[in-house]
Amino acid sequence: MRILVIMGRVLDPGGIAVNRRRGRIFVNREEYVMQPADRCALEAALRIKDGLQPRGAEVVALPRSVLPDDDVLRLAVATGADRAIHLTSEGTVEADDAGIAQVLAAAAERLGGADLVLTGATTLDTGQAQLGPRLAEALGWPQILSALHVEASDGHVAVILKQGKQYVTVEADLPAVVTVLPDALKPRYPDGVRLINVYKRIGELAAAVEQWDVADLVDVEALTPLLEKRGQDFPPERERGVRVTGAPREMAQALADALRQWAPS
Amino acid sequence: MDFTFSPEHVALRRMIREFAENEVAPIAAEIDREGRVPFETLKMMGEMGLLGVCFPQEYGGMDAGETGYCILMEELGRVCTSTATNVGAHIGIGAMSIYLDGTEEQKQKYLTPLARGEKIAAFVLTEADAGSDAAAIRTRAVREGDSWILDGTKTFNTNGSFAEIVTVLAVTDPTLGARGGITAFIVESDTPGFEVGTHENKMGIRGSSTAELIFDGMRVPHENVLGKVGEGFVSFMKTLDMGRLTLGAACLGGAQAALDWSIEWAKTRKQFGVELAHKQSVQWMIADMATEVEALRSLVYRVAWMVDTDQPFTQLAAMCKMYGSEVASRAIDTALQIHGGLGYTRDFPIERAFRDARIAEIFEGTNEIQRIVIASNIFRQHGVRIRP
Repeated sequence: MRILVIMGRVLDPGGIAVNRRRGRIFVNREEYVMQPADRCALEAALRIKDGLQPRGAEVVALPRSVLPDDDVLRLAVATGADRAIHLTSEGTVEADDAGIAQVLAAAAERLGGADLVLTGATTLDTGQAQLGPRLAEALGWPQILSALHVEASDGHVAVILKQGKQYVTVEADLPAVVTVLPDALKPRYPDGVRLINVYKRIGELAAAVEQWDVADLVDVEALTPLLEKRGQDFPPERERGVRVTGAPREMAQALADALRQWAPS
Repeated sequence: MDFTFSPEHVALRRMIREFAENEVAPIAAEIDREGRVPFETLKMMGEMGLLGVCFPQEYGGMDAGETGYCILMEELGRVCTSTATNVGAHIGIGAMSIYLDGTEEQKQKYLTPLARGEKIAAFVLTEADAGSDAAAIRTRAVREGDSWILDGTKTFNTNGSFAEIVTVLAVTDPTLGARGGITAFIVESDTPGFEVGTHENKMGIRGSSTAELIFDGMRVPHENVLGKVGEGFVSFMKTLDMGRLTLGAACLGGAQAALDWSIEWAKTRKQFGVELAHKQSVQWMIADMATEVEALRSLVYRVAWMVDTDQPFTQLAAMCKMYGSEVASRAIDTALQIHGGLGYTRDFPIERAFRDARIAEIFEGTNEIQRIVIASNIFRQHGVRIRP
């Protein structure tokens, strides 16, 4: 089985400060981390791979966009992915998720196909949830979104997700695209030896991260973005918490309702 | 001069920091309060390969060099001195002694499981009457056919109460003293005659185990002699040299943590209408603290680089330990002053850091011994041989 995991990076939220008064985001420390939802997608892929031992599965990491460096992909290999494909380009690639979906679909074909594609359900910075569905469309595969739990074997995937207050299991025949929620799973730490070897580019992992030119996969000119960013603004200031008033019994009821509404899923 | 860390070391630090913050830090107060060794986090570190961070991959290690090991100690020291102590005793002196002086067979048999984190190591030297005066040990090893019989009591041993593989220094020829009369042995702790005695009730690093070890007619095979018979003292001193650098790295982590807490406190605590950050006395305290931390950081990683490039490092490693332990103590003391009364309570990590830091000026060779080592090296370079 070949599982593709689409992974991106995001600025470490701990290194940025939001200044509402000046309407700007200040980057105090420019450090990138894996998109949390993508990291859960990788963990889901690795758990499927662990479950399929000794036949095993091949987990290949690909990027969510044309990244300036392959750090996220190296980290994916260090964590357990068998290989990774870094997308490079001579010039800048003007593409949004729709365009990248075309690139990734072409990459999947060049890899010789895949059985399952996993990616994060949303991005931490932009809150986008497009990539999974758009990639499913580009591949012509079924899609299951916002998974909490994924199991796959021999031509079949079963996903648990939340619908309202219930958990439901949704199944599909492979190949399929599944997107995973952030915090769905506790992701594993990278393996130290793999980490050193993939970053030093030695041993078995010397060629684990391959460089593919986007121009070899699609016509870069044809990737016109569908989305145009026209500006940004801050959401209105929210009052924190909920105010309850009334007689003690009414207040208790209102408080209980609020707590139930906010209860973690 | 390129002062940047290599990509693998940057990635390693990120991985260790996340691990330290998510797994080690949350239980730091608890293991101190309960006086227990966090076996669960040691196991996780073993699985990640961290317990063999500096050893070659052919022996199950990670091959991240001394620099990688300093990074590990710094990141652990930043969140939990007890954990840094457990790991330091295992890697830096326990397993290290086998790496430096073991035969190929000994390394395959003993170093490999240690590097993989499958077993834990300890380094057994100190006795009741032999602390700084390490050559005054009295544990005896007597040859009997193809084994040695060890008898004696060792004190203040870290990890010895649960380690599976320990390296022990014993007297093989009482007439010869340190030069020729002392031998190192690799001992498996399930050997009959190996007993764990009293556990010390310590001021700090209470999440580490410090215990008495008693050897009573313990039979150790001759092939477990580490290095050559009679040359154990020299080989143990070599191991301690390596350990000094990484203790300096752990102190760096502790000092950095004190600095970070002080900055956060100065940003939030208000008195006389303004945050403490606007008060000059606090600014100066933080400026001094930050300068010492930077100086220590430069020293530690420069010495790590010297080790990784096979340059002599004894004198500078002693400086790392001496300066590092004193910087950490000063930083934590200043942090306590900045935090005031609240810092004195157990609700804050400072009182634990204060108790934990103090030992660094004492163990692994007291700072007085370090000063002697440094001065001896300096004068030897000038043609004067000092006798301590």
